[in-house]
Amino acid sequence: MGLINSQNAPMIEAFPGGPAFLTTIDTVINWARSNSLWPLTFGTSCCAIEVMMAAGAANHDLARFGAEVARASPRQADLLVLAGTIVKRMGPTLQTLYAQMAEPKYVIATGACAISGGPFIYQSYSTVRGAHELIPVDVIVPGCPPRPEAFFYGLLTLQKMIREGESIRRPGERRKPVLAALPPGITIDQIRQELILNLEEKSVTKPLNEHAKMENLTWKI
Amino acid sequence: MNRTELLSTVLSLSTEFSPREKTDRPAVLAPVQGLTDLMLKLRDHSELSFDMLTVATAIDWIKEGKIELVYILISSTFKHSLQVGALLDREKPVAPSLSSVWAIAEWQEREIFDLFGVRYLNHPDLRRLLLEDDWNGHPLRKDYVDDFMLERPWR
Ligand code: SF4
Repeated sequence: MGLINSQNAPMIEAFPGGPAFLTTIDTVINWARSNSLWPLTFGTSCCAIEVMMAAGAANHDLARFGAEVARASPRQADLLVLAGTIVKRMGPTLQTLYAQMAEPKYVIATGACAISGGPFIYQSYSTVRGAHELIPVDVIVPGCPPRPEAFFYGLLTLQKMIREGESIRRPGERRKPVLAALPPGITIDQIRQELILNLEEKSVTKPLNEHAKMENLTWKI
Repeated sequence: MNRTELLSTVLSLSTEFSPREKTDRPAVLAPVQGLTDLMLKLRDHSELSFDMLTVATAIDWIKEGKIELVYILISSTFKHSLQVGALLDREKPVAPSLSSVWAIAEWQEREIFDLFGVRYLNHPDLRRLLLEDDWNGHPLRKDYVDDFMLERPWR
């Protein structure tokens, strides 16, 4: 694999059949990369309990997605999971850690704190308002804290992004994949209308005599 | 020793202690002057023997213009605990250091100095603990503001 890298990619592309060859190589490399993400343990506060411990433990089992080899050294890791509040004093350390990681490197920001400062956004003297102020972030996972399932969704998104959006022809460049599309013939407005109708129909602020009816109500899916 | 016995023993040690009400554990208020001596008495009393300082913290009572120091003591022999409070003037918060009584107080006092600006007398090494050395002000005071802080858009 060492023979085919970003330096000699243009050379290979010039040969007949070169582009097709490179695309095949890309697929293999991206498949390998996306299925063996090694996260760096960087838990700075409460999100770490959910994302590092609950997600890694037997019940949810991070190992199913090939990302369970958490390393304590940035030199051996290629995925930085920001789990927790980032304070101003931690900022330089975070940037150093990110710089020390080997290319290609990916960043997932989990939890409101790493996205925007979360509960500490106002009247805080110390909290950085979002990790993107310090380092580039690839995937964000909202929640306070996100459930392990949400984190897995973020991880799968990242894997999809690696598989679809990278090429050794353009190292470091990433394309965000399309994750969800509405079924044909359905618009956002229709969904909104239906939500409002549902809310009005099943709201708990109904008159008391209607509560009896609601007891037997089952959710239509 | 139950709660009432403990409290009466503590109060009999010195007239300077005054009991506090509505607390979840035995609690007394002590004057700041001579705090070290009072704490030494609590530590060395044979039936109290408070040999451990678990919590040393402060509260900013901005309306009253006071800063309250709160100490929670535990006896590892008798397994009872006591809360001691001391009120300081908010503008000139000066208190004696307890690091000669319990060594751990040294770091906890550095933290209180860092965040509340309480000056400790006879402290061996009164530097900031958590914030940078060139930080201005003491952020856990209720009236602290700086350029970095965002105001809440609602009130
Ligand atoms: S987002 Fe919530 S759970 Fe996560 S670190 Fe911030 S406060 Fe803690």
